Amino acid sequence: MDIKVPDDLWEGDAEGVLTAWLFDTGAKVSEGAIVAEVMTDKVQYEVTAPTGGTLHISAELDALVRRGDVIGSIDAG
Amino acid sequence: MSEENATRKLTIARAMAEAIAQEMRVDERVFVMGEDIAALGGVFGNTRGLADEFGTTRIRDTPISETAFMGAATGAAMDGMRPVVELMFVDFMGVCFDAIYNCMAKNVYFSGGTFKVPVVLMTSTGGGYSDAGQHSQCLYGSFAHLPGMKVVSPSNAHDAKGLMTAAIRDDNPVVFMYHKGLQGMGWLGTEPAAIVPVPEESYTTPIGQASVVREGTDVTIVGLAMGVHHGLRAADQLAERGVSAEVLDLRSLVPLDREAILRSVAKTGRLIVVDEDYRSYGVTGEIIATVAEHDLGLLKANPQRVAYPDVPIPFSRPLEQYCLPNADKIVAAFDAMGG
Amino acid sequence: MQPGRAEKRWMYETMLLSRRYEEAIEKIYLEGKQPRFDMAAGPIPGEMHLSNGQEPCAVGVIAHLDEHDTVTATHRPHHQAIAKGVDLKAMTAEIFGKGTGLSGGRGGHMHLLDPRVNFVCSGIIAQGMGPALGAALSRTLQNKPGVAVSFIGEGAVNQGAFHETMNLAALWKLPLIVVVEDNAWGISVSKKDSTAVERNHVRAAAYGIPGHFVPNNDPIAIYDVAGEAVARARRGEGPTLIEIETDRLAGHFMGDAEQYRPDGEKDALFARDPIPRLRDQMLAAGELEADEVPAIEARVRSRIEEAVAFARESPYPQPTDALKCVFHPPT
Repeated sequence: MDIKVPDDLWEGDAEGVLTAWLFDTGAKVSEGAIVAEVMTDKVQYEVTAPTGGTLHISAELDALVRRGDVIGSIDAG
Repeated sequence: MSEENATRKLTIARAMAEAIAQEMRVDERVFVMGEDIAALGGVFGNTRGLADEFGTTRIRDTPISETAFMGAATGAAMDGMRPVVELMFVDFMGVCFDAIYNCMAKNVYFSGGTFKVPVVLMTSTGGGYSDAGQHSQCLYGSFAHLPGMKVVSPSNAHDAKGLMTAAIRDDNPVVFMYHKGLQGMGWLGTEPAAIVPVPEESYTTPIGQASVVREGTDVTIVGLAMGVHHGLRAADQLAERGVSAEVLDLRSLVPLDREAILRSVAKTGRLIVVDEDYRSYGVTGEIIATVAEHDLGLLKANPQRVAYPDVPIPFSRPLEQYCLPNADKIVAAFDAMGG
Repeated sequence: MQPGRAEKRWMYETMLLSRRYEEAIEKIYLEGKQPRFDMAAGPIPGEMHLSNGQEPCAVGVIAHLDEHDTVTATHRPHHQAIAKGVDLKAMTAEIFGKGTGLSGGRGGHMHLLDPRVNFVCSGIIAQGMGPALGAALSRTLQNKPGVAVSFIGEGAVNQGAFHETMNLAALWKLPLIVVVEDNAWGISVSKKDSTAVERNHVRAAAYGIPGHFVPNNDPIAIYDVAGEAVARARRGEGPTLIEIETDRLAGHFMGDAEQYRPDGEKDALFARDPIPRLRDQMLAAGELEADEVPAIEARVRSRIEEAVAFARESPYPQPTDALKCVFHPPT
């Protein structure tokens, strides 16, 4: 299942920056765990795991992201 | 320990907040006060989420009244509470230092050890982003110089959580100095090496214990907070030239782990001290003196320091960057020692 | 005390200059900081505290001052600096960190110091109060003309320096005017969460000095009250506290998401923007002709363009200049 920057994370169509991954690729995460932080201006937002499983990171640290962008995935297997 | 637990990483900001939250859950005496710490979660993110969980009775925004709330932290601590109090920028100590160094730091002593003063004073340090001379200082040496306060400064999230937990449980004033550039705030720059795996369960990192973060045999690079990361980068550069550098993260300035410094220098014979605080009368001189008064014979070369020159921190980028420590300056200091 | 036509026109043009200046700075500040907001990046690094909305406080008070009078300002200093006559080119170059700036780039936007017009500011809350007190004391000791004005925010009245300064100024009957720009917010903490006192001018009673409140961010009403206070100070009758209800149209600093503001607050602030309000009053009163408005706008813009061009074209200081000017004389 894809990990997306939630559509309602902030208002407007500003781009954000991925400032932290809190797990590495291959880590087991549970549903709802905070996996990443995204910043717009001086505000940081949390991205949580949509399901439990093995994390795969596709957007690297410092990547520019928009709301709805896929930044990684979780293999529920 | 679950698999997730073993791999989860945190920023220093999150690690500080997690440690405070875990202590607040088990100890009703712990509360937090400071400027912009409740709804905003701290300008540097270190109290994020706490007001939601604990409410604004225990997570208290204060007016801009540092003398009053630093004194209040001391008084509350002496009356049985365990306050965590935030000084937003360490530079602001100027308006409230009497409450800190003449009161908070001395009342254990003045009571012959009968009063406990379990205050954690957390405060941001450091520059590098053109915030000029009233918002960029480190002042590590100023706090460490004055007796009665333990002083810690983490370089990564694991130590930040453990040191914060230890600080809250300590019966003495502990000054917890966090470098803005390591907070994981993004807008202050990101130091990925500060974002490291952090166990979810509560633990302490002993106050007064340094950590060898990279082993080596040719030169010892001693630093704290951001200085550790400069040291690690310098060690990478030196490794390319076949020089094996050991990097020692002090983590605590008071008590200072002098044994760890001596152990490392006894092995390498060369010492470089890195500090973002002012050069004179400070941390770098103390570390070198520690070695010199123990045994000058440990040193194969004159020790070097890479510190902030004795000038107020300038705003303009080329001026500030010229003054700040960095890996290149550490490598140059190594070269200055001769073979 | 009412401003004459010329003074009103100066007030309007100076407010507009300050506003357009900050609009220009705001845009330049974001250069290099979008989409990634990195404070260290772009032609203007560091923090940026805009004074948009607070212009009436600066012009209403400073209209009564000349270059001999001292002003101490805060971390949000542009409107007062401009009204006091700080050189716009040197100030802009300073904000850019250039060698031609007021201090050669050492201070930046929170540390604009200009002895030519007796203006200083500082990044520490309430810090300017003591130095303003000292300037007032020095004037009386030297028998020199001039009064001192300390501009502070409403957050500063909860600092110890406020109480200590007010007490001494009253005791020594010094020519000091303390102006509280109440924009209702100290970063994210509202005034009502900072003090149990509803209106800070009442604190003057604690020192036995006059305290005035000016509602509604009105430059003409500020002019009136400040005129009395400055005249009183010049007569040697002692200090005055003035509290002004003003509006911070921007965030605390640039990059502030202002999530702490109640819904709709920002719209309400812009709806009562003091600059168009004064313009319309002056047009209605015949103190300004409609065809003058674009001319004033053009004049203001040209000054700003000149200052910005100067700042952009100026060289950065030499890195080793960081080590100079710690002591006087500079080496």
